[in-house]
Amino acid sequence: MEIPYTVKPRPDTGLYNAKLGIWLFLASEVMLFGALFSSYVLLRVGAEPGTWSMGLMDIYVGAGNTMVLIASSMFVVLAWAQLKQGNLAGYKKWKWATIACAVLFLMVKWSYEWPSKFAHYDVWLNDAKVLHEKFEKGYHETASHIEPGGAAHDNTDAHDGDVEKYIEGIYTTRFFKESSVTSEDEFKKAWENGTLALSGHINSYEEAQIDFSITRWKADFGVSRADATKVLAKFSEDKADKLLQDGGELYEKTDYDTAKLAEYELGQAGFTVALSVAGYETIKKHPWMWGTKRVNEDIGGKPRVKSLVFGLDETQHHQEITLDVGDIKRLSAYEPKHSTFFGIYYTITGLHALHVFGGILIMLYNMLPVGLALWHKDREQYTNRIETFGLFWHFVDLVWIFLFPILYIL
Amino acid sequence: MSAISEAAKTAEVIEEHHEHHEQSFWRTYIFSTDHKVIGIQYGFCGLAFLFFGFCLIATMRWSMAYEGQPVPFVGPLIEALLGNSVAPGGVMSAELYNVFGAMHGTIMVFMGIVPAAFAAFGNYVVPLQIGAVDMAFPRLNMASFWSFFLGCVIMTVSFFIPGGAAQAGWTSYSPLASVIPTDGQTYWLIGMIMLITSSLLGAVNFIVTIINLRAPGMTWLRLPFFVWAQFVTAFLLLLAFPPLEAAGIMQLMDRVIETSFFLPTGLVVGGQDVDVSGGGSPLLWQHLFWFLAHPEVYVLVLPGMGIVAEIIANNTRKPIWGYKYLVGSVVVLGFLAFIVWAHHMYMTGMGTVISAFFQTTTLIISIPSIIILTCLFISLWGGSIRFNTPMLFALAFLPMFGIGGLTGLPLGFNFSDVALHDSYYVIAHFHYVVAPGTIFAIFAGVYYWFPKMTGRIMNEFLGRVHFWGSLIFMNLIFMPMFAQGMAGMSRRMSDGGATYSLANPDNADITVGALGDTIMGLNVSISAAAWAMLIAQLPFIFNLFWSVKHGEKVKSDNPWQATTLEWETPTPPPHGNFTKEIKVYRDPYEYSVPGAKEDFTPQAQPAK
Repeated sequence: MEIPYTVKPRPDTGLYNAKLGIWLFLASEVMLFGALFSSYVLLRVGAEPGTWSMGLMDIYVGAGNTMVLIASSMFVVLAWAQLKQGNLAGYKKWKWATIACAVLFLMVKWSYEWPSKFAHYDVWLNDAKVLHEKFEKGYHETASHIEPGGAAHDNTDAHDGDVEKYIEGIYTTRFFKESSVTSEDEFKKAWENGTLALSGHINSYEEAQIDFSITRWKADFGVSRADATKVLAKFSEDKADKLLQDGGELYEKTDYDTAKLAEYELGQAGFTVALSVAGYETIKKHPWMWGTKRVNEDIGGKPRVKSLVFGLDETQHHQEITLDVGDIKRLSAYEPKHSTFFGIYYTITGLHALHVFGGILIMLYNMLPVGLALWHKDREQYTNRIETFGLFWHFVDLVWIFLFPILYIL
Repeated sequence: MSAISEAAKTAEVIEEHHEHHEQSFWRTYIFSTDHKVIGIQYGFCGLAFLFFGFCLIATMRWSMAYEGQPVPFVGPLIEALLGNSVAPGGVMSAELYNVFGAMHGTIMVFMGIVPAAFAAFGNYVVPLQIGAVDMAFPRLNMASFWSFFLGCVIMTVSFFIPGGAAQAGWTSYSPLASVIPTDGQTYWLIGMIMLITSSLLGAVNFIVTIINLRAPGMTWLRLPFFVWAQFVTAFLLLLAFPPLEAAGIMQLMDRVIETSFFLPTGLVVGGQDVDVSGGGSPLLWQHLFWFLAHPEVYVLVLPGMGIVAEIIANNTRKPIWGYKYLVGSVVVLGFLAFIVWAHHMYMTGMGTVISAFFQTTTLIISIPSIIILTCLFISLWGGSIRFNTPMLFALAFLPMFGIGGLTGLPLGFNFSDVALHDSYYVIAHFHYVVAPGTIFAIFAGVYYWFPKMTGRIMNEFLGRVHFWGSLIFMNLIFMPMFAQGMAGMSRRMSDGGATYSLANPDNADITVGALGDTIMGLNVSISAAAWAMLIAQLPFIFNLFWSVKHGEKVKSDNPWQATTLEWETPTPPPHGNFTKEIKVYRDPYEYSVPGAKEDFTPQAQPAK
């Protein structure tokens, strides 16, 4: 049994099967990305003024990646052209260049673009007053000279200009580029209502030191005394028997992770435990993807994190302000849950990156002996295979060409 | 005609020869790339899930008729399998009712009818009817089936996880679907992504096969109508499913990593503010969902129409009336299917202008549907009809689908939809389209092509018992629902609407929203009819398995004396299908051609 038109095109349609198949597949891909683009439009049009977090991307990196992908699209054609001429060595050269571009593109995303966002935070405060106090000035004093349009000021007085510059930074990026906010009034309203988010890095934070004690052990819990002792011995070898009998302190001023692990494991063995906050320790670290839940977590009536030292963006000296967690309404890194903009940004670029990754796997397969076997068996079919891959690769490239402006520039 | 053709014997020899050499049991029957085996795999799974989905609703009907009483027979089983909390003492809880309801819809649509009507018959019959040796991409075909299978496994497993399967209805509207704390919805989404992937791979394969693998002489207007229906269906799947895949990915992200694509600002759940950014749009989910789910209606019904057209042409012994109109209508239907989706959303407050637009397109799409139905009706005129089991089901399809279609008109107008939305009227309407419509067509197709698959004919007496039982009980189930819906009974009530019925003598003076005893009493009769319907399927199930070994043997490769190419193959067709060169010389339905020797002239028969 031989299926017709796997290699030669059918005369009346002018297509071989795989070429027709890949075009149909791409049609469905157009609908897939089309639906995501439509979602982007609908979410953006429906966004409250000031909530569409546009303009936070690094345009130069994005533009560089665009060039890398366009180059790869060119190389993939050159590779195919070499094959058409029967030149396997030339094909391999261009194909490796394509693969290198694709890998570079993913590396930039994976090791720079996304991670740098995950350490970058926005904080929304419960009360506008806190915001104003932190800056010790009202909006009029700090930003009265900012022109709509937010053209960069020639700010020579760096020390006094910090606050203005911060506000101006947000104004120009977050607000002014957002199509639904075109006036200074919108910005002013956000400032006065406190809906303005502070943006920057968490430079350090005060985290709870936890006293951990065992209250009692439930004999009727279903775990034998010997097993419970064994579990407890993992945490305290010498005092296990005594702790099981009378309870008492297991840890003094330990860290959160240790305490939580002990709480879970002992809980499974029938122990009732009590955690209390003994004090707070300042930790100088840039945390990775923290959310509101974490800073609001309650340990024996006290917060797990007491305060954050927040280094503000857009100032020359990264001015620091200290935020009490009680004042924080919402905290989010620039991760998908930050806002609908970041949600759709990660969804589309993630799905696109998956396509790039899949493309790399296919290219590698075709370059390995197992894939090249087809070349030695049927040159035309192998060339067709590379051509259909090229169509897919152009599509992946094209998606990015739409993605770049809507996510980075517009 | 009197004996199995020489070609078939040769084919059997070739087949045996082949098996000796390469094909192990696993490659032949399980991981097969042969379109016929894959078709049967799809058919078996599809029919099994249709039965399972029916069992779910049969259990739910107990809760609606006798709420709070233990379900007889299966109650203890459910309690043992799913746990005491969802079915205490064998009584169906409201949560379990929601689980079964959501999964009934999902299973019937995505795991029952699509695989049975589109994938099974499409895989088995389409390559045969166009004279192809196999599908264009056999390995892709296998990948499609196994992707489907994996999706089904995920969906089935989700019943047994803590909290049970999805509960938010087959439509999975957000925010409800996003905030339900159990994991069922997450399984549902992952399962759906597998099913969608399967459909996309299948659709690409079907379209390429039909465009590129037609036998010489098989021009576009010589294609049997069934192939046209499958062709358009494949396009619908190809282009309508990806938006749901996108929506599924977004809802999955809402559930797993706390984005808020579909969660609006200020959402409060259980008295608590939800810690999400807000700014999402519940309406967006509905748009993306119905952008698939309306074309999906045509995915469900077009293959059915195709099957019915084949059987009617064959059993009236005359050409289909208006073949070209049928083809034109089905193509137009395919286009229009993409621009009617928001008629499911009149109640969302999307505005009168948009409603008016979708109301207009909805009414326009009824035109090609009516043309198709009319053509099939007129085809009966003057025919010498053979009333065998496949023909009975095909004939019943026409009025049943007609009822389904006509009762859809009040739902298509937004002013009347406001009153009927989300009521039992809607349930009755779309079940008339899909249940006695498409499912009858599936039955017709099984009875019709069974002889080609096995070389034996299914028992005619059991077939007739199955047909009359199904027809009568189907109507006893769904006809009263129109009355219930028009009286105002809402969908998705685990007590059959008792809580809201106010059908209480003390409240006799309250008329607003009251459902009378008669309307509420119908719950019991509908449930009884549903269980009787379940029993009416037993002859079919028995017949299907029994006939494989004991059915009457066919006397030729073409037992129905049909004209299309699938009957030119040996019985059952070997790997590679045809044992002779196939060339097509004529239109698909040349029955009773004046001057011909017999009352049918096969497509492959050369002109003199």
